[in-house]
Amino acid sequence: MSGSVTQTVDMSVKLGSLTLRSPVLTASGTFASGREFSDFLDLERLGGLVTKGVSLEPWEGNPTPRIAETPSGMLNSIGLQNPGVEAFCEKDLAYLADVDVPVIVNVSGHTVAEYVRVIERLESEPRVDGYEVNISCPNVDSGGMAFGTACAPAEEVTRACRAATRRPLIVKLSPNVTDVAEIARAVAGAGADAVSLINTLLGMAIDTATFRPKLARVVGGLSGPAIKPVALRMVWQVAGAVSVPVIGMGGIMDAEDAAEFMLAGASAISIGTANFIDPTTAMRVTDGLVEFCRERGIGRVSELTGALRT
Amino acid sequence: MTSGCACSEHSVAPALERVEVVANDRIASGVGLIVLHAPRTATAVRPGQFVHLRIARDSAHLLRRPFSIHRVRGERIEILYQVLGAGTRLLAERGAGEEMDLVGPLGHGWEIPPGIAHALLVAGGLGAAPLGMLAEELATRGVAVTVALGAPTEERLIARDLFENVARRFETATDDGSCGAAGFVTGVCETLLADEALDLVYTCGPEPMQRIVAAQAADAGVPCQVSLERLMACGIGVCLSCVVPTSEGQKRACVDGPVFDAATLMWDRPEIR
Repeated sequence: MSGSVTQTVDMSVKLGSLTLRSPVLTASGTFASGREFSDFLDLERLGGLVTKGVSLEPWEGNPTPRIAETPSGMLNSIGLQNPGVEAFCEKDLAYLADVDVPVIVNVSGHTVAEYVRVIERLESEPRVDGYEVNISCPNVDSGGMAFGTACAPAEEVTRACRAATRRPLIVKLSPNVTDVAEIARAVAGAGADAVSLINTLLGMAIDTATFRPKLARVVGGLSGPAIKPVALRMVWQVAGAVSVPVIGMGGIMDAEDAAEFMLAGASAISIGTANFIDPTTAMRVTDGLVEFCRERGIGRVSELTGALRT
Repeated sequence: MTSGCACSEHSVAPALERVEVVANDRIASGVGLIVLHAPRTATAVRPGQFVHLRIARDSAHLLRRPFSIHRVRGERIEILYQVLGAGTRLLAERGAGEEMDLVGPLGHGWEIPPGIAHALLVAGGLGAAPLGMLAEELATRGVAVTVALGAPTEERLIARDLFENVARRFETATDDGSCGAAGFVTGVCETLLADEALDLVYTCGPEPMQRIVAAQAADAGVPCQVSLERLMACGIGVCLSCVVPTSEGQKRACVDGPVFDAATLMWDRPEIR
């Protein structure tokens, strides 16, 4: 530890077989497929781009209102609105063809077979570098979180997706469970190369002027700084429970937040809700992490992973 | 960002811009006017576009709030806002010299088709906000402007001076009859559609009002554009919070709108009140 301020910091991290140029990823559903953010930041400086959830057929999503602001956070019940995997290949992957960034496609389905068919369709697409299996969306009636709140279905969908691809397979976990470590162990045992957490916490808000829920669907997923302590605790628990890498997220607004997640055991982190507030957040966090390491004489950002002193 | 049409005028990419409060005053009951020094946005913005303003400095009120640009004066933009909730109360407290930041300009604004000679602008309450810049732009282009402005009381008729300056004909309606016709502005709109030879109707206001204006324009065979207000998180087309049902599928108010061709909106759906 030299403490020199001019040293370079190696920002690369390993995520299973993937080597990323930075630990800073984008959280699914907060970044579309990146195009809208190209006005604000350099997509090629991201560690990886995790796309919005993609399903086999187009999904309409939920009725509006779909969001509500809550103290230090927001609720959403978008409901995985997306144009389906064919349109995703035609438009989103075509756009990303010319962008040098690892692309991780978030995969959604109502049934195990639907998850598998989305992956099968994407296997022939060279622009896809890996998959994130969404078993944690709280805003759809079937599929989503229904798979992620018990070990057996989580294991089943992971095993089926694993059988469909040799590409890196990440499983995104729900915080709406009794024991997140147990689910993490189940999906790691079923072949996941990494786990990402947390998805949103189920919540609700009520308009006292009208006695109506603020979301048309009544309940939705809470995100933003309000959930950071819960997310951090869960990342710490999961990192201690599995040997696969952990991608940490939940209310990260700046580099200090990101560092906390890495110290708790995350190998990489994702920016979610903060993308809505400041579309340049991913760059701010990247630059800030370099600075964070420099100031402490840390030569490789990966040294932060699990460096919590207890 | 907005593509397809021949509107190169909408093509300036949005940016995160640091701005300074020049003035912030109460101009009517519950209505504020904030003036921001925002050189980039002031140059780039087109009528009907909006900015996404960060109001709080901490994370307690996390989300930005969308505001249409009312007017541009040099390097300054003017925003009208209604003090409704905690966010706009915070905005009302911002004083001259304070720094804020915005993302903008955003959205697909009003279309001004070539060859139109006479336009009717129908504003209800704070719906006058996005129509101010449009009225000035139309007048600059030599398009005759007729304005119908409605509010609950005379004191809350917003931007009267601006409209009076540029309009060839200017009519008002107030709920209490304190200025102009007594009743809703839709009554005035109906009269004007019958009296005047109009090429286009532009409207913004409460959605029940917009629905009636759109129907009146359709009956008169005049095209109509409406500016919708929606809750949104990102403002740049990503989060899908602000979707609106149209005959061409779900559209995002933030990038496909906020201005829509009234004929494409599915007014019978509960998502449009």
